[in-house]
Amino acid sequence: MTAATETRAGDAPRRNAGTVRARNRRELAMLAVFLVVIWAVTAILSPRFLSPANIRDILTLAAPLGFVVIGQMIVIIVRGLDLSVASIMATVAVLAVGMGENIAMILALGLVLGIAMGAVNGYLVAYRSVTPFLATLATMIVLQGVRFAYTGGAPSGSLPEGLRFLSTGSVLGFPVALVLLVMVAFAAHWMLERTVFGRRLKLYGVNPDAARMTGAPVKIMVLAAFAISGLMAALGGLVLVGYVGIVDNWTGRGYELDSIAAAVIGGAALSGGRGSVPGALLAALILVSLFNIVIILGLSVELQLLIKGSLIILAAAVYNSRARR
Amino acid sequence: MVDIIRATRAGPVHLVVLALIMLVFAVGVYTSDRFATPLNLAGVQDQMVALALVALAQTIVILSGGIDLSFAGALSTLCVVFAMIAGDDPQTLVMGVAAVLALGASIGLVNGAITVYLGIHPFIVTLGTSTILSGTALLLTRQPTGSVPVFFEDFLYERLGPMPYGMIFVLSLYLLVGAMLWKTRFGTRIYAVGDNEAAAEISGVPVRQTKIAVYVLSGLLAAVAAVYMTGRFGVGDPRAGVGFDLRSITPVIVGGTLLAGGRGGVLGTFLAVVLLALLGNVLNFVNVPSAYQWIVEGLIIIAAVSFFARRAR
Repeated sequence: MTAATETRAGDAPRRNAGTVRARNRRELAMLAVFLVVIWAVTAILSPRFLSPANIRDILTLAAPLGFVVIGQMIVIIVRGLDLSVASIMATVAVLAVGMGENIAMILALGLVLGIAMGAVNGYLVAYRSVTPFLATLATMIVLQGVRFAYTGGAPSGSLPEGLRFLSTGSVLGFPVALVLLVMVAFAAHWMLERTVFGRRLKLYGVNPDAARMTGAPVKIMVLAAFAISGLMAALGGLVLVGYVGIVDNWTGRGYELDSIAAAVIGGAALSGGRGSVPGALLAALILVSLFNIVIILGLSVELQLLIKGSLIILAAAVYNSRARR
Repeated sequence: MVDIIRATRAGPVHLVVLALIMLVFAVGVYTSDRFATPLNLAGVQDQMVALALVALAQTIVILSGGIDLSFAGALSTLCVVFAMIAGDDPQTLVMGVAAVLALGASIGLVNGAITVYLGIHPFIVTLGTSTILSGTALLLTRQPTGSVPVFFEDFLYERLGPMPYGMIFVLSLYLLVGAMLWKTRFGTRIYAVGDNEAAAEISGVPVRQTKIAVYVLSGLLAAVAAVYMTGRFGVGDPRAGVGFDLRSITPVIVGGTLLAGGRGGVLGTFLAVVLLALLGNVLNFVNVPSAYQWIVEGLIIIAAVSFFARRAR
């Protein structure tokens, strides 16, 4: 999967950390400016856009994608790719919701299930040398089967109150889901930028052999990256069903490709080693905003697909040319 | 004989898949009287035509070291455009076919050019174009629209002996592409680029042109698949391609082509398409719900991949 086209950037002499960080900051600034511009234009065209209710809507809906994209990005940093996130979201949601009313129990069980499913991906990739694309594609299909077998086609049952609160409730005026996302984002950012584990993940992405030679336990690291992605998908799935209000066998459909798109727009490269939590979250916010904007402006919903597709290619092109320079 | 085996690049992989096909067939015959009837087997063949065409395209792209995820959007747009033009008589039909072939080739050209000249991973490029094309199809029409001439629709439902015309067409295309891969310089170049791009470049292979040509070919085959699908439905469905992006990859991998490129071929893909179609049919006969069919499909991928991973080492 790591086609030779993209290894070129990695082969170039590494610049010192200072310029890399400056480049990352410029990329973040570009994303932020883009987000502000589309928000401003929409606000001018339709004052309704900036109403507190609408802003709250955007932020709440960005939360599930935000969780998933953080996990996706960590996997992409270690030269991976997780196609199974949507399937994990739905499977966890379907299984956990059948567990009664106890929200702590649902959360614990759901998250453990997510970690386990991600760990299977990680095991296949790290220990069985299966390409991430195929390992996660297979897991995606198997989980789809497990889910439909478990529900017998159509899941039923009402959603526990606690789960609704998780997504639609507020603490001190802030949506719970958003508060949760911010906490998770800080933790993930700290892990990636400030811990040995995070730095080793990035080193592995830039140069797996070098990481191996430093004595880092690379196999367990890669497995852990996939497990984290599973955990994030589980969290995203639970928050999403809480928001939508019903559990569906197809909960989260499309999130696998959307999360990859958001990670790439946020500065991650499939060749590995690059990506940041703030970038990924900004990109997720942009994608969710686009959807909201076309609706608010009364445009064809399909138009957001055109913009999204162009944005994916454009972002990748911009980052690529900057990385090469 | 040895030459023929080498020329078709037949190997243990193909024998394994062939053995599985026979096993599934035997199970089918054993479980239901209706399985081995011409009607059912023709139905199985009808089922696999579209997937076989798209998987053929995907095989070529993967052999060259790339990947094409644009089928979801491309097929949808191509189906709609074809049905809008094809109308009711032979003349408009020919125009429609010409138009979607040109459009398919252009889609491939864009995919290839962006991949090559901007140096972006084909996964990202084709994900982008697929998204754009999905939107385009739905902007053109929200509901299935247009028509194809009745004689064309009838033709696609007819059979020559036990074989539907669509299947005969698929077989000839596989032979044609197979011959291209094994016998022409272009085919050799595809393998060379997929195996080791840098080495190919040094040996004088025009890497960029080869890659672009591969995506154009992929777009052309997608257009052919769209013509067939629209002909069978009788209308152009703006969601016709949904799912084909990932579905097209399974048969390629199960057929023994390495995702990294450079190894494999169309024979394996064809056998894998047959295996998957027969398997689905037999599992239906024994009343296995689609849920378990998915589990089986996923496990087959894992089994195939771990098998080939060990072989490659």
